[in-house]
Amino acid sequence: MKLKPCSALICCLLSIPLSAQATNTKAEVIPISASIPEDEAIQKVIAPLAAEIKATFDLPLVQAPQGLFRGRRGEENLLGYWTADVMRRAAQNVVGAPVRFAITNAGGLRSNLRPGPLKVGDIFELMPFENELVVIELTGAEVIQVVKEGIVRRGGEPCSGVKAVVGGTPEAGTYTLVWEDGRPIDPKEVVKVATSDYLYGGGDSIPTLKLGRKPFTTGVTLRQMLLDECAALAKAKKELLPPPPGRYTIPAPIQEAIRDKKFKL
Amino acid sequence: MERRHFLASLSAAAMASQLPLRARADAPSARADAHSAGADAPPAGSGRITLLHTNDTHSRIEPFGPGNGAISGLGGVARRATLVKQLRQQLGAVLLLDAGDTFQGTPYFNRYKGRLDYQLMRMVGYDAGTLGNHDFDNGVGMLVEAMESMEKLQHANPPFAFVNCNFDFKGAPSLSKRVRPYLVKAFPGLRVGITGVGVAFAGLVAPKNHEGIVWKDPYDSLKPIVKRLREVEKVDLVVVLSHLGYNLNGSAPDDLQMPGQVAGIDAIIGGHSHTFLDKPTKVPQARGETLVFQVGFGGVNLGRMDFAVARGAVRAASGSAMPVMGSIVT
Repeated sequence: MKLKPCSALICCLLSIPLSAQATNTKAEVIPISASIPEDEAIQKVIAPLAAEIKATFDLPLVQAPQGLFRGRRGEENLLGYWTADVMRRAAQNVVGAPVRFAITNAGGLRSNLRPGPLKVGDIFELMPFENELVVIELTGAEVIQVVKEGIVRRGGEPCSGVKAVVGGTPEAGTYTLVWEDGRPIDPKEVVKVATSDYLYGGGDSIPTLKLGRKPFTTGVTLRQMLLDECAALAKAKKELLPPPPGRYTIPAPIQEAIRDKKFKL
Repeated sequence: MERRHFLASLSAAAMASQLPLRARADAPSARADAHSAGADAPPAGSGRITLLHTNDTHSRIEPFGPGNGAISGLGGVARRATLVKQLRQQLGAVLLLDAGDTFQGTPYFNRYKGRLDYQLMRMVGYDAGTLGNHDFDNGVGMLVEAMESMEKLQHANPPFAFVNCNFDFKGAPSLSKRVRPYLVKAFPGLRVGITGVGVAFAGLVAPKNHEGIVWKDPYDSLKPIVKRLREVEKVDLVVVLSHLGYNLNGSAPDDLQMPGQVAGIDAIIGGHSHTFLDKPTKVPQARGETLVFQVGFGGVNLGRMDFAVARGAVRAASGSAMPVMGSIVT
């Protein structure tokens, strides 16, 4: 008889001399089913805390009289710009050095912030993921490439610290990127960049971010970072207002070509 | 995928249930009758032990909600507690261990600062854990506060231990007295030594959050500890709780390299890289084999490794990842 590897192991284990072995060892099958019931004592501890956490979702955060929107077709993603701005500032606070550029992915922003008073739950809806703020180092040339990859694949991912201008035709595009104050980017300069662990880990379509050096994982989720920003605004008796547009200038025919995946740069 | 996981865990359970169970201390046995004194004690260095383990639970108190892909509906501390309780009742000789990064990831951490995480670990019945980089996210003071709150909890289970041998805690005395280089757990006929190693702080923990603690090379730190466990403490099984990561391709110390660098480790319970393994990887080492295991993150799976030891040496070892499933799997 050919033994299955599994039964061979059992035989091997059985042959081990164990002294105080019960004479009438009974085989019992541990009831591991597709459904493991919750331990009552533990659940009793968790339930009220879960309710408490849920109640915090209704807590008011800050007034956003204009709301913040991802933008419809042809519009800029001001909600994304705000997120990237907050990422850049938060990263700067953590590393204690200037962070020149921040980029996130529009796909990670799951809802708009509607005009009116914001609640904690709104930020959870916007950012349900546990993605973490990461600070990396890139050269100027790599920053230029990162923004370019975002334009070609997604029509420009939300960023902070730069201005991109795309021109030419869908078949032969042109592209320039400058710092937000209009100064040119030195391709050799090494700068600090804020992004998410998701993008840095290659989770979306900006492969150059993976080249980031000296990664610093902050331990702060993007969601917590946004919650902290809203709380700070409210504490300072300020409103949450959208940042001005103008970070991506992309002619309509090229935007269409990007959507049709026909744009070359 | 889930079905495969489930079947794997089922077969491990069925296999374990067919292993000869050690008699309880009060159960008469043929041998007990034959000997006059100390009859219940098996010969030194022989027996079976099951290691149950988690890593990178990241404040996942509740199961993952819908919209989380393959892990939707999985995990949850209350279910983990049930599973652990069942296995403990069944197997007797069980250690429940964690490889670090208990903190950060859900509003529970933001609100309760890790106190809830450690308290629940005690309630579930953990024996020992180690420190991951995220456990320093609120600084040393808050980490100590969370440990203290766990120690002070009124509960039938004793407080669990923290082990680490590659952090020099000299500049952080409050933490130093709460983290020991190793722990020995004695079972009838069997002694198990447990130590832990943590990942380098650079790039992971802000300097102000690990003030007074110096990271040292994990391999160099482990060697004298494993030697001491074997030669002085006379343990039969050496377990390392590692928050280094599974495979760093030679760029930094990792779990896959460890057995080749430090002889005498039987099991490495890994974390940090959030690596989902179905079963332990067997890595050759100077004294046989080391089982290297890691079960993803967020308490999605409970890891399990079974060891049969005779005359101070591992005779058989196996393991599997057991998915922590609830009634609703989306």
